[in-house]
Amino acid sequence: MKSAAFDYERPTSLPEALDLLDRHGEDCKPLAGGQSLVPLLAMRLARPRLLVDLDRVPELRGFTGQAAGAMTTNAQLERRAGDLPPVIAAALPHIGHFQIRNRGTVGGSLAHLDPAGEWPALALLLEAELTVESKRRGRRTLSAGEFMRGPLTTALAADELLISVSWPRWPAGARWAFAEVARRPGDFALAGAACTVIAGRTRAVVFAVGPLPQVAGDGGFEVTGDLHASAAYRREVGKRLLDRVMTQAAI
Amino acid sequence: MEQSLRVKVNGQDLRREVPPRLTLADFLRDRLRLTGTHLGCEHGVCGACTVLLDGDAVRACLLLAVQADGREVTTVEGMGEPGRLTPLQRAFLARGAFQCGFCTPGFLATGEALLRSGRRLTRAELPQLLAGNLCRCTGYGPIVDAILEATGSR
Repeated sequence: MKSAAFDYERPTSLPEALDLLDRHGEDCKPLAGGQSLVPLLAMRLARPRLLVDLDRVPELRGFTGQAAGAMTTNAQLERRAGDLPPVIAAALPHIGHFQIRNRGTVGGSLAHLDPAGEWPALALLLEAELTVESKRRGRRTLSAGEFMRGPLTTALAADELLISVSWPRWPAGARWAFAEVARRPGDFALAGAACTVIAGRTRAVVFAVGPLPQVAGDGGFEVTGDLHASAAYRREVGKRLLDRVMTQAAI
Repeated sequence: MEQSLRVKVNGQDLRREVPPRLTLADFLRDRLRLTGTHLGCEHGVCGACTVLLDGDAVRACLLLAVQADGREVTTVEGMGEPGRLTPLQRAFLARGAFQCGFCTPGFLATGEALLRSGRRLTRAELPQLLAGNLCRCTGYGPIVDAILEATGSR
């Protein structure tokens, strides 16, 4: 449980960070809050030659009611819960334990893209837009669906950094629900679902059941089993949670 | 390559050279010999290594020592001492909130952060707030009692 050796850089501006990624590409890994990456390093599932610590890049900070810089911590957002779409505010307490939320960031969760993560599910549910940037190709904006490629796999190129995530204005009268099942509060979800009803349009997402969060439709959803829960368990619990959030959001 | 680290630990300004892969937990235990911070799982699940970073409870095993550069760390050694225990430590003692003691430094750090947050703590919400720390001996009841008692003493 000790990570392999790596070099470490702590850039103090976005151009400096992007330049490091440009020069080191696949050999380097950006470090946000480290709540997922540090254990991966310790288990040697990740062995970058260089870590680029984004902690002191001011361009990645900041929060408005409709957008968060990638380095915004979940704890910072919890303190601004009243300014957030209520479905995000409801999901935040489920993101790890509060000690994890003190360090864990929005951007780190999205870029890590654990299928059980709440942020990928929220981004898909709210049809969020993710702004990414590289030194050579500049900025581009991706939908949540375009950004997510597979478990732990995003559309980010090796020289690209997630800058911020934004979501549409939350309209008055919109309805929502969020539910997840985990062994302890704050543990990885074994299944989860969330729903919004905005201007009469219902959108529901199921997560922590398959390779990625999925928009619920008529065709059911893809499930995978692992040590923590079988595929059959996730299908059943995912279906029940979807029913629950859609019922709650409809009332 | 070693990195220069300036950090305040339990009120003392330190400057050390550390390899980037060294976690804050290993820095505290192996370099500073502050072995009160315990390591259980080393991947953020058990909470035994919880310390305060600029007053916030964090997992010392999920933080590289270099990430604490320019910050202030408080470990269980910085919370009180024999004969001068903190109100939370006195409450843990009075309520029998530990048996083997392995998890205690982590619970004290979590409890201290909760007390310092100034929020009104209720018995109903404490199990949720303590979910990030595992205890295998006490059944948690005495720990909840101790934190509530310490809240009352402030």
